[in-house]
Amino acid sequence: MIGTILSHIIRFFALILLQVLVLDHLDVLNGLMVPYLYVLFLLMLPFELPAWAQLAIGAVTGLVLDVFASTPGMHMSACVVMMYARLWVLRLLAPREGYEFGSRPTVAHMGFPWYVTYAGLLILLHHLWLFFIELHRFDAFFGTFFRAFLSAGFTFALCLLAQFLTSGKDREHR
Amino acid sequence: MRDLFRFLHRIRSTLMFLGWLILSFVLLYNGNEHHRAHAISSSNSMVGTVLSWRKEVTDYANLKEVNRALAEENAAWRNRHISTYTPVEGLFARIQDTIRRQEYRVITAKVVNSTWHKQKNHITLDKGTKAGIHGDMGVIGPEGIVGVVRDASANFAAVISVLNPDIKTSVQMRRTGHFGLLFWDTNDPLTSSVIDIAKHARIAVGDTVETRGGDGIFPAGVTVGVVETVEDEPGSNYHTITIRLCEDMTRGGFVYVVDDLRRMERDTLQQANTP
Repeated sequence: MIGTILSHIIRFFALILLQVLVLDHLDVLNGLMVPYLYVLFLLMLPFELPAWAQLAIGAVTGLVLDVFASTPGMHMSACVVMMYARLWVLRLLAPREGYEFGSRPTVAHMGFPWYVTYAGLLILLHHLWLFFIELHRFDAFFGTFFRAFLSAGFTFALCLLAQFLTSGKDREHR
Repeated sequence: MRDLFRFLHRIRSTLMFLGWLILSFVLLYNGNEHHRAHAISSSNSMVGTVLSWRKEVTDYANLKEVNRALAEENAAWRNRHISTYTPVEGLFARIQDTIRRQEYRVITAKVVNSTWHKQKNHITLDKGTKAGIHGDMGVIGPEGIVGVVRDASANFAAVISVLNPDIKTSVQMRRTGHFGLLFWDTNDPLTSSVIDIAKHARIAVGDTVETRGGDGIFPAGVTVGVVETVEDEPGSNYHTITIRLCEDMTRGGFVYVVDDLRRMERDTLQQANTP
């Protein structure tokens, strides 16, 4: 139990540092795509976590990102929206007999099709919200939509990559 | 009454969600203004420290470019140094210069973090109030203007980049003297717009745009950019001007923070005279 909590905390710091030190400065195609890999931390939170904790962790994570990016409230609102949607998505995607105790929302535990639906929906929602809040208007609708879509694809690919790279370690923890 | 409580209990996660969302929107709408969010900005010293780690690594990669720019600038200054001039007539002894007085002082600082691909871009510098930097000071680079200091802590300063629609800088055309505002709505890190220049002004492609000065932020006559396109939309009284910025905002390195030595005097006078 302590080990699980510790691994979540380590993942939090590792992903935040990776985000602010490397990924925020990665300018693919002149800033057309910006990956926000830090959402992987939120996506990997356990199923059993109560709703209030999920929302609070989402808000704090977003706020930390905002402090680094000098954009108060932007990432915070996107994370809170994503975590609220996660409650519903998890409920919709639940197997008939509920989630097995000890299983976690990863490709290795839940299978690829489940993960594509789960992570794809939530990452896309997070990115759309973030990009439209950032732009603050709707006039360049399709351009922004396109950027959010591309970035979400990029983030999703990085999420898969990160899981494949660390999956060996995950099995030891189980 | 019990039904109400049961209902509230059932939708408690939705209520919590709305609470967090409202909190984040409060931050979003209040925090972006000047001087408001000292804690939530990159002038926060812990955040500045983390961001400077990254800079320590990337500095090595940029050393060559930085050296070249510094050498060029040294050469430019050396050309103006007294030793490169030969007196045409006899030497004059300068006892006290009563013709000129110093109006601005510049403080060099290093960019520790900057963005240029977002909708609102910010820069963090490695010097703060200890070096004499405070809010509302102009920041210029070797080629042109860079931004305006928003907030400073002891060792770091947060700067609003010119690539940010939150600031509008007063600029003028060097050739004709018509003035307008520099406003970044192009979403392109290499260009910007100049608004509020009336249609009767004859602006040509290639005209130089410089700062107007007098606002206590930038000195007058600092290069900003070169006019790239001038369009006249029907139904508007103003030109739609796009300029190419002289300073490459996608580059880090050293910048100069401008300290207006008579700022206090001017501000006190202006405040006393505003009704």
